[in-house]
Amino acid sequence: MPELAAACLEIRGLTKRFGGFYALNELDMEVATGHIHALIGPNGAGKTTFFNLLTGVLAADEGAIVFEGRALDEARPSRRTVRGIARTFQNIRLFPHLTALETVMIGEHCRAYGSTWRALGAAVLRRPFGEAAEERRMRENAMELLAFLGLANHGKERASNLSYGDQRRLEIARALATQPRLLLLDEPAAGLNPNETAALDETITRIRDRGVTVVLIEHDMNLVMGISDRVTVLNFGTKIAEGTPGEVQTHPAVLEAYLGEDVKP
Amino acid sequence: MLHDLFDGYTRSILVFTGVNIMAAYSFYAPFKTGQVSLGQAGFMAIGAYASAVLTQKFGLPFAAALPVAGVAAGVIGILVGFPALRIKGIYLLLLTLGFAEIVQVVTLSWDFVGGAQGFRQIPFVPSILEYVVCLIIVVVLFFARLERSSLGRAMDAVHQDETVAEVMGLDVVRIKLLAFGLGAAIAGLAGALYAHHATYIDSNTFNIMVAVEILMFVIVGGSSTYWGSLLGAGFLTLLPEFLRSLRDWLELVPVAWTDFFPMNRIYDFLRDALDFENAKRLIVYGIIIMVMMILRPDGLLTRDSLRRLWTPRHA
Repeated sequence: MPELAAACLEIRGLTKRFGGFYALNELDMEVATGHIHALIGPNGAGKTTFFNLLTGVLAADEGAIVFEGRALDEARPSRRTVRGIARTFQNIRLFPHLTALETVMIGEHCRAYGSTWRALGAAVLRRPFGEAAEERRMRENAMELLAFLGLANHGKERASNLSYGDQRRLEIARALATQPRLLLLDEPAAGLNPNETAALDETITRIRDRGVTVVLIEHDMNLVMGISDRVTVLNFGTKIAEGTPGEVQTHPAVLEAYLGEDVKP
Repeated sequence: MLHDLFDGYTRSILVFTGVNIMAAYSFYAPFKTGQVSLGQAGFMAIGAYASAVLTQKFGLPFAAALPVAGVAAGVIGILVGFPALRIKGIYLLLLTLGFAEIVQVVTLSWDFVGGAQGFRQIPFVPSILEYVVCLIIVVVLFFARLERSSLGRAMDAVHQDETVAEVMGLDVVRIKLLAFGLGAAIAGLAGALYAHHATYIDSNTFNIMVAVEILMFVIVGGSSTYWGSLLGAGFLTLLPEFLRSLRDWLELVPVAWTDFFPMNRIYDFLRDALDFENAKRLIVYGIIIMVMMILRPDGLLTRDSLRRLWTPRHA
């Protein structure tokens, strides 16, 4: 019988060194399917490195990653995206000259066309006028995603002309366009005002409800503690605590990492 | 039919303009994914020599040799494209430049293709202008479709941020190789067209200056849209010819005026400097590119200016 609530992601002994510096040291972690799993820790704790290792932007020195019961052997980021892992970036990285709609359609490309040859064929061998069926479907999906993130009116605007909060949301829309089953959000609330953060709270929950497992790096503790099913705390590349938001908040090692050494007499 | 429409001189200018337009597109294709190549002259040489050998030494008709020349240059382009994948900017420039130099040295020292003597008596193709026009139409249509396709958009994304494009599921390796190979193939076709019009090529025909000029065509015309290559190559090739015909009109200016202000002599100097056969035109190109970089750094035509043209003012 298949295991119930199987882990979406299993990490075993994941290690990344930069020279002699351990950005990530023997990390073991499990992310349950359908959870919102937060990853917190002080700056430089190795959170973004973890995302880079998951998406293949960096290669791990040691350790294993198992995604949906199968080893994540693919080296190249694009292959991992096709497997079903998508991410956003801490420092927003959109394609400045593309419109919002085009940006989302970039995310859909890998699903619409299996290979570059098929994409080339579709580009050259279509009817002389009008939009290809594939392209129309991509456009409709992209519109739906923009609407999902409240960007329906910004489709024709250039990504670089959008406001900061809209750019953050556009990044999420682009990631969702790749139809991931695991979404990695890298500080999605950074630079947002309180209203936008509250809306983000709801957005992430709705993404989870679409059947996407979410791993969230975030410094906004209200957001993290409000929506996370589970929280992992990193410090200096090592896991120092893990549990429900309530457990983690009172964990002595976490308090020490965030507030400094015990100053009681 | 086109052949009879023009005298030999005009026909020659039109063929060279067409070859330059093709060469500009060969630069535009890899550039669309952010790869700047100074090796396009090398691919032109490969196409030119391949077609020359096939027609002259193996007796193939030009119509059969032309596609082979394109494919040969394209295949070599993909081979060069592999090492080019890992490097960017100035290093890619140097790699492609090095490749073009290798092609030059090989054609210079390989006696089978004429060596230092050059390749002589390449069969002249009377209908070359028709070939040029047809190929340009095919290439422009291709890029028009590419621009409006998902693949074209993917290439733009790769150009703007390669790492993110890869993370978003785009097969950056394939996309860049495809663009590079495509550019090389178009260069090969351009080279073959040139060879069968000029009927003589040597190792110096496709030198570094040719590569620089190709780059000029695209930069001046505008690199953000496929129309820019057509405009840039057409403009810079035909400009000296227009200036030449303008000279005849200057003869009508009264002598008293030209004594007062020697516009004809200024004109002669400028025309001389722009002459296609004259290396001094590179000085003028240099001035043009400096002025362009200040006034219109994105080239004469940009995607935005085209968008403004197509959309009605009161929309």
